[in-house]
Amino acid sequence: MAPSLSYREKTLYASLVAELVVYGPYFFLHQQNSLNKVAGMIVAIIVLQIVLQSAIAIFTRNRVTDERDHLIELRGYRAGYFTIATLMVIGLGALWFHAAAGQLHIDSRMMGLHFLSVFFGALVISDITKTVTQLVAYRRAL
Amino acid sequence: MAAIRNQIRELRARREITQQELADRVGVTRQTVIAIEQDKYSPSLETAFKVAIELGVPLEECFQYDPRGKR
Repeated sequence: MAPSLSYREKTLYASLVAELVVYGPYFFLHQQNSLNKVAGMIVAIIVLQIVLQSAIAIFTRNRVTDERDHLIELRGYRAGYFTIATLMVIGLGALWFHAAAGQLHIDSRMMGLHFLSVFFGALVISDITKTVTQLVAYRRAL
Repeated sequence: MAAIRNQIRELRARREITQQELADRVGVTRQTVIAIEQDKYSPSLETAFKVAIELGVPLEECFQYDPRGKR
């Protein structure tokens, strides 16, 4: 019998949709960065996640999670951790290299915002990696 | 071939238990029962015992270990 979607899988698809809807425009329609924009996106993702997760919880009768769900969750977090660690090293290293080489002509007051951008970008990509890793594991039966 | 194989599908069919019924009795999702039956997921020892108890057979009749199988 073909496996239908479990409760955890549905919540993961909802998370992926929320992440792509909110973060997609940030990356693909990249404009001038600002603290307000980042804060707005964090609020938007929280609100969208609450709405979607609530809707799924209401319409799903069987909300059982088990050991396999926990194992898949751990795999997702491991993939997410390696992604964020790698991106942080590469991103901050590149920023430092350009700054040290004098190729980055930015106001020192804007440096914090650039670090925030790198950090936020790494966080978003690792979060999406974590979700996709878990969804792939579910589709491959583990 | 998987290192841990099982006869859950046959035992379940013999007792006319659906995947959902077995999942509910053991406390896992139906997707996990499907993954176990397809030898794609090796359950914990606790879940393996629960499955065997629900199917009314000894553990070794339900699950077999093949040392030459893929882990």
